[in-house]
Amino acid sequence: MKPTDRRDIPYLFFVLPAIIYVGYFAFYPSFSGVYRSFLSPHGGFTLNNYDELLYYNLGAAILNTVIVSFGALIIQLFLGLVVASILVWEFRGKKLFSTVTIIPMGIATVVAAIAYSFIFEPRGGYANTLMHALGLGGINWYSNTPLSLLVVMIADSWKNTPIFTLILLAGLSSIPRDLYHAAALDGAGVLSRFVHVTLPNMRKFIAIALIIRGVQEFNIFALPLILIGEHPPLLTTFVYDLYSTSPTVYISLAAATILLALMTVFIALNIAMGGRR
Amino acid sequence: MRKNIPLWVGVAVMTAYFLFPLYVLLLIAFNPAKFTIEALYPPPIFKQPTLNNFILAFTQYNFVSPFLRSASVATLVGIFSVALGIPAGYGLGRLSSSLAYPLLVLVLITNMMPGIVVAVPISTEFIRLRLFNSVLGLALVQTLVTLPLAIFIMQGTFSSIPREVEYQARLDGGRFRSIITRILIPVALPGIIAAFLISWMFSWDEFTYAVILSPIKPTLPVEIYYSITRGNLLTGVAFSLIFTIPVIVLTVALQRYLKGEYLSGGVVR
Repeated sequence: MKPTDRRDIPYLFFVLPAIIYVGYFAFYPSFSGVYRSFLSPHGGFTLNNYDELLYYNLGAAILNTVIVSFGALIIQLFLGLVVASILVWEFRGKKLFSTVTIIPMGIATVVAAIAYSFIFEPRGGYANTLMHALGLGGINWYSNTPLSLLVVMIADSWKNTPIFTLILLAGLSSIPRDLYHAAALDGAGVLSRFVHVTLPNMRKFIAIALIIRGVQEFNIFALPLILIGEHPPLLTTFVYDLYSTSPTVYISLAAATILLALMTVFIALNIAMGGRR
Repeated sequence: MRKNIPLWVGVAVMTAYFLFPLYVLLLIAFNPAKFTIEALYPPPIFKQPTLNNFILAFTQYNFVSPFLRSASVATLVGIFSVALGIPAGYGLGRLSSSLAYPLLVLVLITNMMPGIVVAVPISTEFIRLRLFNSVLGLALVQTLVTLPLAIFIMQGTFSSIPREVEYQARLDGGRFRSIITRILIPVALPGIIAAFLISWMFSWDEFTYAVILSPIKPTLPVEIYYSITRGNLLTGVAFSLIFTIPVIVLTVALQRYLKGEYLSGGVVR
């Protein structure tokens, strides 16, 4: 044992309670959930729980989750970049504006979902008031799956744009101002400076924001539950639907195991990213 | 001034974007129903402002017990997060990085696991342990959401205290426990308060664990969800606004601590 290692031992005891806690409340239930998803109600090993999932809409749930995650990430990335690029400037009222941009973080997901449910109502609603004022007809926002998913993406993007803003702002402020001056002297316009100076320097921060939010995006639950219920299903609402409607817990455990398996890919990617810094 | 026009357009558009959903909630809360939820194309202005919706919601439906339950769960979560987060943050800050990093990753993973994947197996366990529908049980599980954040904040706080302070105190004959309680904790107090308040706030908003582990005795967000699904829309909106006030106040007050690096789980440095 290296001498530094021995000096570590007392400090390990400080970390131990937290490790035991997450072990007991996060890892143990997940592992036991995976294990029990392979059990029949009588206790024997079986794959029936997974077979049964196919009768429900597992494929659609996975597809919808992927679509919502990608769509919402693109919207958030765009809006986050817009807000962060505004916040690197100095202007009157900047402090007030930066407070406004983090407000969605202070709004509970449930409340955000309710606000958006009034904006996008099946008949009428505030979005349709706007359409009406522009001389367009009203739209039933839940008449088909893509439109329903779009509503979820929009509401989720509103709630989570601040996180993108904060991460991207950290990246933008790390770019030396001199680079912009040099580019401006060379005659580069605003757009060209954005493409040739901002984007290359931001690549790492954009990747980090996308991967971190990607993980959370896969987990969104309250928002789709309130806006679109269990149909069309996302993986989380799919698990919840099975959990609250089927007589035994085993099928929902199988669905949860599939969600966990997909998440593991993201988590591994996340750790690999963190390790490279 | 003229070349700043794109900037001001951006500020105006984004301000409208961020505030519009809140404005809609206020419209519904303070307008008679015939101008909001009962109108096909509700007007986006206040016509005949009224407090009737609030009076009706708070006299007809039970706000107090979900409110108290939410407040007690959140307070417990704050206490648990700080109690586990202080020693863990301190220890991780002092460990050599080859040991600290994998431990940090372990804590991070719990933050990335889908709440529903953890909650469903725990629910059967909690029924057995009589923790289902209990304040204590819910608080124990919600701490999973807040602990990583609390640990990061505490680690950051302790690493800003030079080790020399600790060594000096030890040389002066201080005992380990009194060094911690008399020197480290007081210096770290702002960080500890921030960790407590942020944990409190995250628990206040938490929905997934709450709806699965305490469905019969709902916390406020779950009660609001129930109101909406039962069709008591105006009650849901009235409760939502009151429910939102403490969180907005805390978010603005804690703006300094809500940094990208904490929220991203410490991956950004």
